[in-house]
Amino acid sequence: MTSAVSNVTASASRLPQSRGLGRQILRDLGGLALLAIASLVVGLVMNRLSAAPLPIVYQTPEQRFDAELTTLVAAPPFKISPAATVGLEEFRLAVASKGVLIFDARPSAFFENGHVPGALNLARDDFAQDYRRLAGVLQPAHDKPIIVYCSGGDCHDSRLVANALLSLGFSNVRVFSGGWEAWSAAGLPASTGSEQ
Amino acid sequence: MTSPDDSRRNYVVLTISLVGAAVFIYAGIDKIRDPLQFADSIAAFAILPAVFINLLALALPPFEIACGLLLLPPATRPVGALAVAVISLVFFTALAFALLRGLTLDCGCFGTGAPSRPRMWLELALDAVLFSGALFVYLRSIKRLPARAVNTTQSRYD
Repeated sequence: MTSAVSNVTASASRLPQSRGLGRQILRDLGGLALLAIASLVVGLVMNRLSAAPLPIVYQTPEQRFDAELTTLVAAPPFKISPAATVGLEEFRLAVASKGVLIFDARPSAFFENGHVPGALNLARDDFAQDYRRLAGVLQPAHDKPIIVYCSGGDCHDSRLVANALLSLGFSNVRVFSGGWEAWSAAGLPASTGSEQ
Repeated sequence: MTSPDDSRRNYVVLTISLVGAAVFIYAGIDKIRDPLQFADSIAAFAILPAVFINLLALALPPFEIACGLLLLPPATRPVGALAVAVISLVFFTALAFALLRGLTLDCGCFGTGAPSRPRMWLELALDAVLFSGALFVYLRSIKRLPARAVNTTQSRYD
């Protein structure tokens, strides 16, 4: 008898209970929507106050790079074309020979954490600034062999930088597609900090 | 009176909330420092049109930090847990979709690095864990009051 009464009471109370739960979930979803709107407002305000605000519509690295490149020279419209590549062994020999200019296209923080010995940081992110900084090395090197690398995997900063150098008149530019990942995985020597 | 089972569950809820809060606050701060890099990571998924990418890159970091903070006080924990569950599910779906399409990318979820599929799998697993934990915390938080109400009604007739 007692259990029958409990069952009836429990079933009867289930309806308002589920209604209460539903209301609670709706209230929380409303809170979630408000939170999303508030976050967007905060994000937009912070962007407005930032030193380098993002445009509202996203620009691909290629579009940004093209815009940056035109600040250096009146270069023709920048297009990605398949750059010549070198494998790990050829790259290792080139580094050892010291007759090739090696450029690391990764951001400076990554470069400082570890880079190929003798490499110079010509970051895709700060290309125009780095290009001016390295003018002394780059100006006499228009016909010198150059190899560019980035993180490895599917990173394409090295290809962007290599193509930029080609469009700036450098004739012998190739890409080490294995990048930093392949170099460090092979246990080859590394340097840290900024350029020597 | 709280049963030992209840108090054990409360500790589990508290632990999950603290871990979830730490993960989300860290992830939000990390993304807020370099919104451009994060926008590039979102674009690599090739899901959103260009007009939404920067808006998401700007809104998501404060949203994640707010989620983490809301998980801390018990009063706001349900909203925080629901937000973490929803956002983890979104991340999980986007990553799973990218893996199925054979993409190798840096998801930008917890800092930046070289694009890597093993790391994508790891982040997919972390999203699944975060989703399950947040859902547990949310269900536990919203079930508490009604469950007590049923028990009180029952005990009156026993």
